[in-house]
Amino acid sequence: MAGNSMLYSKRRIKNIIALSLSVVATLIGLVFLAWILWETLQQGIAALKPQLFIKITAYGEDGGLANAMVGSFIINLIGILIATPIGVLAGTWLAEYANGTKLGESIRFLNDILLSAPSIVLGLFVYTIIVLPSTSLTNGSTTFSGWAGGVALALIALPVIVRTSDEMLRLVPSTLREASLSLGIPQWKLTTQILIRAARSGIITGVLLALARISGETAPLLFTAFGNNYMTFNPSDKMSSLPQMIYQYANDPGEGLHAIAWAGAFVLTMFVLLLSLASRLVLSRSKVSHD
Amino acid sequence: MTESAAAGIHPQSAATHAPIAPTKLTVRDLHFYYNGFHALKGINMDIPEKKVTAIIGPSGCGKSTLLRIFNRIYAIYPKLEAKGEIVLDGENILDSRYSMNRLRSKVGMVFQKPVPFPMTIFENVAYGIRHHEKLSRADMDIRVEQALRSAALWDEVKDKLKQSALGLSGGQQQRLCIARGIALKPEVLLLDEPTSALDPIATGRIEQLVEELKSEYTIVIVTHNMQQAARCSDLTAFMYLGELIEFDRTEQIFTKPGKKQTEDYITGRFG
Repeated sequence: MAGNSMLYSKRRIKNIIALSLSVVATLIGLVFLAWILWETLQQGIAALKPQLFIKITAYGEDGGLANAMVGSFIINLIGILIATPIGVLAGTWLAEYANGTKLGESIRFLNDILLSAPSIVLGLFVYTIIVLPSTSLTNGSTTFSGWAGGVALALIALPVIVRTSDEMLRLVPSTLREASLSLGIPQWKLTTQILIRAARSGIITGVLLALARISGETAPLLFTAFGNNYMTFNPSDKMSSLPQMIYQYANDPGEGLHAIAWAGAFVLTMFVLLLSLASRLVLSRSKVSHD
Repeated sequence: MTESAAAGIHPQSAATHAPIAPTKLTVRDLHFYYNGFHALKGINMDIPEKKVTAIIGPSGCGKSTLLRIFNRIYAIYPKLEAKGEIVLDGENILDSRYSMNRLRSKVGMVFQKPVPFPMTIFENVAYGIRHHEKLSRADMDIRVEQALRSAALWDEVKDKLKQSALGLSGGQQQRLCIARGIALKPEVLLLDEPTSALDPIATGRIEQLVEELKSEYTIVIVTHNMQQAARCSDLTAFMYLGELIEFDRTEQIFTKPGKKQTEDYITGRFG
């Protein structure tokens, strides 16, 4: 009896230690998030007013970040629109047609390498395959552009979407495949009408996470979209973006510009946070309906 | 072929030696290989029409493997190979020229775990039909209702046909899968341990359903529950280590088995 209660209290102590350690680990992560938000808010509060969203960067300290926000929106949209169809199709192929084959395994591995490729390398790559040729083809009238920026971001989003689509589809139980095929339904219908639907929320989550990832990228935009102090909606122009303006203003000696950069950083962080929360929501909803 | 071997593959009523019913599926010298592993070793059996045939045996004996050859669902995985003949209505279904589409509209299958499609209850049943036939809206409504009625599910779902099938209970989902299978009007219905994921009440309903369905369909059910085989089948096949040990009327198998191994298994000496 005594031995039993000894064993029991030992386990209790172990449990308490493990639990406290994991709580501490969680808190450390949360503290930094809260700290970042607090710091950006505190430093940027002076600039966090309506003109941040209305005025363009050409006014400097008296301006806002409107053109950078529009630029970010357009470049991210181009990136996601290019990466999503290719990524979902590639992920589908990996999970449904190439699973277990050597070719599939190699492509999955290469995709993982692309996933961790330094983003500045991708920026330079797009610079050489898009910016340089478009400059020489148009005799210099189109050089850096929103398109080039979008393609660079697409290359960053692509492996994220491939990976999540692939994994989400492979999580769909094989019995669902067998059940559909045993009704005589052909593979292409099974894939497009049943499996993608079953994995839909996971795939959407992957796209949202990819969007969160690319919306903070600065390096690949420096050589591709370049930046622009005026408002433009035309992706063939040079385009500004939020992270690139933050980078530029933070390097500027002007105190007023620092405040605007901080405010931009706060907006960007909140945007990424909300995207992550949205993706959690999509995923948790689907879990309820699948049970 | 000796007389006893012949009796083993072709179940006969002991008194008259007359066949129980005309044969629907004839299995001849069937061998199956998983990536080189010899999983089925020369199976011969005649499965009678509009009867319930149960396949029992310990785990790994090849009973699910055998069932999964009847609609060639094994063929979706690489490195699996079946040799021999399975004749359905005079044609060998293992012949690569036999259309998969036709085979699967003739031979339906229900799996261990209920697997509803991520769609509405109505769509779950209509989806398969739509692939094989073009029906008007009204005809489709009738067809879906018929299938749900035959699967004894209609009364429970008639007011929520437009709701997701994922919201049904496990037992209801399994009956939905049966409805989905019989909606294609198959001739043979394969059930692979259809109640192993269900509670006793849901199991009872499925067994009752099997009893009702046999007037129209040839049913082959794999089960590791011997009581289930005894309760709801007309014939029972006992398999062990990839071989068909004995195949006879269920009553015979459970009261006077012809082989020592069968007796050992049903009396619980191994398995």
